[in-house]
Amino acid sequence: MLRRFRLEEPQSVAEVSELLGRFGESAKIYAGGTELLLAMKEGLVQYERLINVKKLTDLAAVKVAGGSVEIGALCTHHQLEDSPALKEKLPALVKLEQNVANVRVRQAGTLGGNLCFAEPHADPGTLLIALGAKMVAAKASSKREVTAENFLVDAYETSLEPDEVLTTINVPVPGPNGRSAYLKFGYLERPSVGVAVAFNLNGSVSGMRIAVGCAGPAPRRVPEAEALLEGKSKEEAVGRIAEAGAIAGKASQAISDLHGSQEYKEHIVGVLLKRAFQSALS
Amino acid sequence: MQFQKEVEILAPREKVWRFIWDVDRFIACVPGCKEAKTIEEGKRYAATMVEKVGPFKVEFPTTIEVLEREELTRIKAQASGADNKIGSRMKLDLDVNLREQGDKTILGFVAGVDILGKLAALGHGIIKRKADQVLDEFAQAVKAKLEGEG
Repeated sequence: MLRRFRLEEPQSVAEVSELLGRFGESAKIYAGGTELLLAMKEGLVQYERLINVKKLTDLAAVKVAGGSVEIGALCTHHQLEDSPALKEKLPALVKLEQNVANVRVRQAGTLGGNLCFAEPHADPGTLLIALGAKMVAAKASSKREVTAENFLVDAYETSLEPDEVLTTINVPVPGPNGRSAYLKFGYLERPSVGVAVAFNLNGSVSGMRIAVGCAGPAPRRVPEAEALLEGKSKEEAVGRIAEAGAIAGKASQAISDLHGSQEYKEHIVGVLLKRAFQSALS
Repeated sequence: MQFQKEVEILAPREKVWRFIWDVDRFIACVPGCKEAKTIEEGKRYAATMVEKVGPFKVEFPTTIEVLEREELTRIKAQASGADNKIGSRMKLDLDVNLREQGDKTILGFVAGVDILGKLAALGHGIIKRKADQVLDEFAQAVKAKLEGEG
């Protein structure tokens, strides 16, 4: 059962930041509520105040500007799976969003909420890391950009300061030779493993980025596996993908839990990397 | 969950042993442990353990019972506590052993940690990792404190 709480309804990001600063850990931002309300109903977390940000409609839009797609943090997963701009510029993200959780979560849950809650078995963070996304964190009178990788610090932990608000997710638009894919696997409600790749293919593979998520506490890039494929021809890269997969598996910080043992997840990372790479090539 | 740790301390065994029984100094090395008090010297103690994973915070008022004590060599203890707000319980079986190695002391411990109740919803992996971190920080803090004293 939900305990009583006070609902604050700020009209601006500055006001949200001010409320967070004033009430500290006794207040929490409420966007889609798909994770937060479950945790509150379970009694795992308690807040005196929820700061409803749903009325900040400026943060619920997708814009294309200066080589980037600017995704408002309040965009729901459903909005993103349906966005014409995203379909054109970031089809891998659209495909990911089409498969986030279930239709009820996609209708209410927001991308910003998903990233800020930092549940280890979430999908978007992994692909956003591979795509080189940057998060805009704002306060009342300042803002800064944080790379997706530095944003997702640990299980349920982000690098947001206590009075910072995630407002926008900026994703660079891949060039004409840009390739990307995200694949996941799991047999429970949430995925056991998620793997994302992004690279340019112009005779050879360049700008290779590989990220692994869900297996460990937070999604991570795997520079050692990237280095193995960087600068290689398509055929050479395919030949080395199993080796890259084994490296990525070890680097995934996989932990044994209900979603699978450490060894199992490490193996699946390799399988998914191979398939994601092939899917991005095709 | 079972954990096994060993830390090498550049200090004589007597000094390490005395440190373990100096409740205030010892407790200061346990991350998240506060309000430690002695209920019965050498036998029963009480403390509050506060741990955090992201927004999830637990506070276990804990009683610690010394079950066996072998001078300068071994301590077997058990601790348990409950967080009624979250509806979770914690149980810890601890086996601490000391052995000399030249001018060093090897402080080893085997810990069996059980977390029951709603907190378990966070998942075994997350809790295991957190417990592992706490034990590592504890071992390093003990080493730093004893070696820092010269």
